[in-house]
Amino acid sequence: MKKVSSIVSAIALALGMTVALTPAANAACTGKLKIAYQGPLTGPEAALGLNELRGVQFAVKKSGLDIEVKEVDDQGDPAVAGPIAPSVPQDECVVALVGPAYSGASRVSLPVYLSAGLPIITPSATNPTLFDFGGKIFHRAVLTDDYQGPALARLITSKVKNAKVFLINDATDYSVGLAKLVDFTLGSRIVGKETTPQGTTDFTSTIAKIKKSKANVVAYTGYFSQAAVLVKQLRDSGSKAVFAAGDGVLDQQFVKLARKAAEGALLTAPAVPLEAANAKLAKEFKKVMGVDAGVYTTESYDAANFFIAAIKKGNKDRASILNYIKKNSHKGLSKTLKFDEKGEVAGVDVNGFVIKGGKIVLTGAIK
Amino acid sequence: MDFGLLFSEFPSLTFDGIALGAIYALISLGYTLVYGVLRLINFAHSEVFMIGTFAALMASSNIMGVKIEDDPLSGGKLILTIVVCLVVAMLTSGIVAVLVEIVAYRRLRKRGATKLATLISAIGVSITLVEAFRIMTDSLPREFPRFFEKSLVAEIAGAQIRNDKLLVIFAAGLMMFVLDRFISKTRIGKGIRAVSQDEQTSVLMGININRVVTVTFLMGGLMAGAAAFFYVLVYENTSFRVGFFLGISAFTAAVLGGIGNIRGALVGGFALGLLEVYGSVLLGTAWKHVIAFTILVLVLLLKPTGLLGESIQQARV
Repeated sequence: MKKVSSIVSAIALALGMTVALTPAANAACTGKLKIAYQGPLTGPEAALGLNELRGVQFAVKKSGLDIEVKEVDDQGDPAVAGPIAPSVPQDECVVALVGPAYSGASRVSLPVYLSAGLPIITPSATNPTLFDFGGKIFHRAVLTDDYQGPALARLITSKVKNAKVFLINDATDYSVGLAKLVDFTLGSRIVGKETTPQGTTDFTSTIAKIKKSKANVVAYTGYFSQAAVLVKQLRDSGSKAVFAAGDGVLDQQFVKLARKAAEGALLTAPAVPLEAANAKLAKEFKKVMGVDAGVYTTESYDAANFFIAAIKKGNKDRASILNYIKKNSHKGLSKTLKFDEKGEVAGVDVNGFVIKGGKIVLTGAIK
Repeated sequence: MDFGLLFSEFPSLTFDGIALGAIYALISLGYTLVYGVLRLINFAHSEVFMIGTFAALMASSNIMGVKIEDDPLSGGKLILTIVVCLVVAMLTSGIVAVLVEIVAYRRLRKRGATKLATLISAIGVSITLVEAFRIMTDSLPREFPRFFEKSLVAEIAGAQIRNDKLLVIFAAGLMMFVLDRFISKTRIGKGIRAVSQDEQTSVLMGININRVVTVTFLMGGLMAGAAAFFYVLVYENTSFRVGFFLGISAFTAAVLGGIGNIRGALVGGFALGLLEVYGSVLLGTAWKHVIAFTILVLVLLLKPTGLLGESIQQARV
């Protein structure tokens, strides 16, 4: 009984805190304005979060404005995001938020930001249902998962004649979901399937299966670090099957890790690498930030710049910034951000890429 | 259940499984040696391995000047590079293992702290090292240069023999042999066995327990460093979390063979490597840990001390 009552009191306390925080949201900010970034900054997914955080920091640095970037580390995990989300709008100087990076963390955070009226643009949370959680404060700078799976399938069939595809996922939510859509779209062209959980380093048995299936395409729906290990072992085994993958692999790190084995790989993403969007800016980014831009850096940069544009027009509180991004559009590097009534960007495509000469080359939108 | 593939590729899969098992075996020696002497699971051992991979990386780029985009090496430079990287990785891991013992365990040991306190200290060291490397590497994996072209050098009984894996099997086998001789023949090796048999009596007999413990950690670290170099040679990348899965697998191998038993760790390592490769062909890679751990549980149910029985001194007297 004691345990139950302590849980009840903990819940009551948590609710009390949320209620107590909400009114503070509209109080005036007396110090520096802050743009928050929320995503995984530690934990196994941190590489993606850091890509995005740097995009935001770079945009703020280039703006010349005296704005602070507030880092909110949710580790990409809803269980971590839940407890920390209420503290973000508590600081009334936080007038906008880029993120959350992941859909799961977005689900638990968005209702809190909605009640605080904090405008957000996520650069990478691609679950189609997020508007239901964030309502008017929710905006998304990329297309949802519904588009990428079929696009990857179409990219494969358009580039490879008589494609026979061996489909591999890494057992994460993102990867399984994307693989399902690829599987569904390709149907009988799938000649084999395999799950290699994250952390797998030895693909001996998977490669034996690929060879037996006589597949001429290996489609992988996981992330770049493991993809590099897989594609290298695939090439070392003598296989010439085309390697195809989604946005989890679209990262300069993939090319760096896999080197020659990455050549000819087909990739898709609702995102544009900074390198492809603006090579000169990518060089400057490397110089200023000390590391290369990664996947979703461009989208984060665009999202932050939309907020910065609003602030430059004299909008210094949450309500007026929200109003600005709803009414205006922003010509970003990846696309023009113009949000519809559900906060989604309209009229953009999933892009196809090929790795050529050690560079990720944009081949254009996938029709 | 793809039995057809398992049978048709059996020789090649066996070869790959032995190469993987050799790496597991080298790491599991560190767990088993420390357990044999201190009755402690050194959870920081996976990080000793992880640091070894980074040491090998530093040695190749900073000492030997090998760049990622370079063409594969050949001749004397190739041999020199391999030896330098191997030695640096082994020494670094060995020193780190000794430091871990001095910083995290020695004081607890002297004050007679409970095993649980030491275990928590081990986990703490492990997390500290992982997070430190996460910060230092920006959470990014690091690539390792290709020292030589990987090619099939022979086909023995239908098994496709790849040069890098063959090298790993030979070199690892040599190291295991040397370690085994060291433990059974040298004075300090006898000391290690004596302490593992009865700590108090061996102290009364004049054995310097601190020295024995330090040497034990050093040996475990050296083996983990060798495993680290072989790992990056075959898989060509590393990251701050590389130790996690490999550490668990190696720990499993140690328990499977009989923790505290050096030859048990070797048998366990090779058995686990083969089981994982066969299992992942039969049921899919996602199932490999399920298969390996189910077999571990079954073995322990039937023979709780592992395949070859616990403790160093029983293995070889």
